[in-house]
Amino acid sequence: MRKVASGLGGYLGLAALLVIVVVLVATGVLSQRRWEPFGDVRVWRFILEGLLVTLQIGAVALVASLILAVPLALARLALPNPFRWVVVAWIELVRATPVLALILFITLFMPRDLMSPVWSATIALTIYTSAVLSEILRAGILAIPRGEVDAARSLGLTYPQTMRLVVLPQAFSRMMPALVSQLITLVKDTSLASIAAVSELAGYARSIHSFYGNPAETYFVIACIYFAINYTLSRIARRLELQRAKEPPVTLPPELETAEVQTVR
Amino acid sequence: MFGQITIENLDYLVQGYVTTIALSLGAMVVALIIGCVVASFRVWGGRVPSSAAVFYVEFFRNTPLLIQLFFFAVVLAPNNLGITADPFLVALIGLSLYTGAFATEAIRSGILAIDPGQVEAARSLGLSQLATIRLVVLPQAIRTVVPPLGNVASALIRNSSVASAIGTRELLFMGLLVANRTFSLEPLIGVLLGYWSLTLTLSLVLGRLERRLAFAR
Repeated sequence: MRKVASGLGGYLGLAALLVIVVVLVATGVLSQRRWEPFGDVRVWRFILEGLLVTLQIGAVALVASLILAVPLALARLALPNPFRWVVVAWIELVRATPVLALILFITLFMPRDLMSPVWSATIALTIYTSAVLSEILRAGILAIPRGEVDAARSLGLTYPQTMRLVVLPQAFSRMMPALVSQLITLVKDTSLASIAAVSELAGYARSIHSFYGNPAETYFVIACIYFAINYTLSRIARRLELQRAKEPPVTLPPELETAEVQTVR
Repeated sequence: MFGQITIENLDYLVQGYVTTIALSLGAMVVALIIGCVVASFRVWGGRVPSSAAVFYVEFFRNTPLLIQLFFFAVVLAPNNLGITADPFLVALIGLSLYTGAFATEAIRSGILAIDPGQVEAARSLGLSQLATIRLVVLPQAIRTVVPPLGNVASALIRNSSVASAIGTRELLFMGLLVANRTFSLEPLIGVLLGYWSLTLTLSLVLGRLERRLAFAR
């Protein structure tokens, strides 16, 4: 298996490289004229401006989602049934909706003079990301042994105190790798805001290539900028995961492990 | 009456719905093929194939699908290569390559989940290489791979909406078209129901499948 894969891989890789070079030469992508704008400082200053808008949307949406994810996760875990169903339906339906549809619909529903497209897009991304993060947080909460909650309660802590001092800090540290991965998705999804007339990095790409007439090169350069951000984030997520794996797992004596961890009261 | 505009333009929306299904199914099949090939390069390949596989996965996973689709739409444009690349085909290529990177990671985790000692044991018991793969490796790999691949497929259905940006006449595109023509936001509710029907059905089917495939514990 190893031999076949390595031999085939070499040939396929070579063939793919050949096809890419032929396509690039045929389309004139390799001509120097089309790359020249990226040697200009003013172009990079322009790109940086777009990048700042992207980072602003991403940062605001991330913080807002984190704040919203806590009540959503707790509501799904602890509310009595008819109210819980509403929360479950909200989370599941939002997660089943394409982000682009969410962004476009909210931009269309919001009157333009009331709210700029940047804020509509940020709200849409917040709605989506908060639903996903609440599920990640819920998994983190459910992974905490029931015995810890019981211990905290029997020590006289109230339910909010138990959550704030015992459960949530551990759940947050458990969800860190998944949170960083979701941040990568969020950064990628901010590019969809450009379709709703928001001028962020992807929107600036359009301005650059319609001015210089080099769309393929521009999109390649912009893709590399997104890659630099997201690859760094993915390395951080990986390191966090390895750190978690190194920590000794929490083990409880079997009589304290209860099978029923569906509801945290 | 509520729903009237949607019903009057139902043929447009149904056309978009069918295109979304075709696009997702096609891209999923191609992505699975890419995933199997690239994952085996990554795991069993030599230095060059495996680093090429890593490069492919990291680059396509960490850049926005929208930018990738715009790039392919430009490179495959009629005035470039003398071929007419229709938006559906461009979307199919772009979505396949993007989803293929995620499928590769899912399949790789399935391959790595199997203890190499099991393969050695099967071989020393006299099973042929093919029988080892068919009876020992695959049944276990499929069980590990189904849940993550299910998430990949669900994300693919939702990501297919991005194809509307390059003019593919799929569900979101058609919904916005009808909404523009009728000056009504009502068709957009139909669009949402369309996507929900697809993703929620998929997660229902996958839940069943996972329970059936689950290891006896």
